Amino acid sequence: MAYQTFNRNTFDTFSQPMFFGEHVNVSRYDTQKYKIFEQLIEKQLSFFWRPEEVDLSTDRKDFANLPEHEKHIFLSNLKYQTLLDSIQGRSPNVALLPIVSLPELETWIETWSFSETIHSRSYTHIIRNVISDPAAVFDDIVSNEYITKRAESVTKYYDDLIESVTYYQNLGEGKHEINGKIVEISLRDLKRKLYLTVASVNVLEAIRFYVSFACSFAFAERAKMEGNAKIIKLIARDEALHLTGTQHMLQIWAMGKDDPEMGEITKECRDDVIEIFREAAEQEKEWAEYLFKDGSMIGLNKDILCQYVEYITNQRLAAVGLDSIFTTKQNPLPWINAWLVSDNVQVAPQEAEISSYLVGAIDSALSLEDFSDIEL
Amino acid sequence: MLAMRDKSKESNSEFHLEDDAIDHQDFQLESPEAPSSSDEARPQSELYLPVGNPEAPQDDQQLEIQGFEKPVYNLQIDGIAEPLAFHYANNLLESLEAQGVQLPYQCREGYCGGCRTDLVEGKVAYLQEPMAWINEGEILPCCCVPKTALKLKLKG
Repeated sequence: MAYQTFNRNTFDTFSQPMFFGEHVNVSRYDTQKYKIFEQLIEKQLSFFWRPEEVDLSTDRKDFANLPEHEKHIFLSNLKYQTLLDSIQGRSPNVALLPIVSLPELETWIETWSFSETIHSRSYTHIIRNVISDPAAVFDDIVSNEYITKRAESVTKYYDDLIESVTYYQNLGEGKHEINGKIVEISLRDLKRKLYLTVASVNVLEAIRFYVSFACSFAFAERAKMEGNAKIIKLIARDEALHLTGTQHMLQIWAMGKDDPEMGEITKECRDDVIEIFREAAEQEKEWAEYLFKDGSMIGLNKDILCQYVEYITNQRLAAVGLDSIFTTKQNPLPWINAWLVSDNVQVAPQEAEISSYLVGAIDSALSLEDFSDIEL
Repeated sequence: MLAMRDKSKESNSEFHLEDDAIDHQDFQLESPEAPSSSDEARPQSELYLPVGNPEAPQDDQQLEIQGFEKPVYNLQIDGIAEPLAFHYANNLLESLEAQGVQLPYQCREGYCGGCRTDLVEGKVAYLQEPMAWINEGEILPCCCVPKTALKLKLKG
């Protein structure tokens, strides 16, 4: 079943599963199997923002005045965020669009991925603003072993799925000899790969991103790099939505009504998913060690960040109905909530630049005298 | 038709595109100097978390609360002995926070699921349709209010 950009078959959209059903044809949203994806699209569109709206001129000065070990923390964290969004800006499209079967889900994947490209552009905006040689930072992302090691574990599920789907769509199910190598392709196995991919994306968005957000906000807690924190706040708002998107996919599968096979796979893969969570948590702890290798910063050190990794991992496990794997129950960084609050992020330039813009805009103190010159 | 065409030609000739020289730039190349004191404009001060105590609106001078009686719903939380009640707050999350119960939260409008809490007993009404995934027996306190007395169990 080679991919068709416009499927000519007539079929009932409602009877299609989310993935591996008929290829989509008309992008229609009048009838929807899962209206949540349409709601996510609308929400994501209402969040639209551009990095250039955030003024970073103070951050440049702040960065120049940071001690060397804090510069290392800030830049390494930014490199890691750049890596994660580089992956997320393309991979959902490449991996999921060829196999998706519902128009509203297809459009959600595109909208989701598009918003990640805005995040990538905002890292360039930040790096260009705080240092004079952005190339050095970007080049290090592909050569720094601490970063490439992590790239491997976040991309392997995507790459595995993409490769198998290519074989499946060209050659179909069965045993195939490809370049002298025997490859066995079965739809069941592809679905398993899909499940693990979405689970690992869920972990990427639920744990890895949040650990990096904690570092960004730790600077801003000390009134340093606040423009950067403002951008990360906008990114965090988008990521919360993406996370909801992948949680819905996982839970719809878990119920087994969408695709009974995916329901079985959810049960089979339970331990693998817990392992993905555990592996990510361990890697984030290793990363914390690398970040703080030359020294801690006020308010954040290796131990606190590791505790946060454990806390957030437990939280995310609970969200997908799995049991805790760590003992940490308390959030060691309680101030992070206030930074993550997203119902009030102001993006319009006239609001975002001047924090006092709205303060005192309305004088609600009235006395009878104020009406004295009004005649009816 | 012809007359109309002639007219449009005439009006076109009234524009002197090439003669108009641009003699000013109404944009700045350098971004304006930012205020040096960063203490005043901390981004945290831009957070609009509820000002004052949402469960005690009588403290707010601007609110006229005479003449309306709101029902009070008792809240019981696993592991917390003090008596808690929902009365005036806009949602369950605000009410709990006002009474010293800390819940994780992020979006505070139902799409992130950060405040997921187990509902052991009782009923809630949603003020808006929550977008986050909610398992059976869970509620999102950020966007619901109690309909009856509640027994809750916090996550984690």
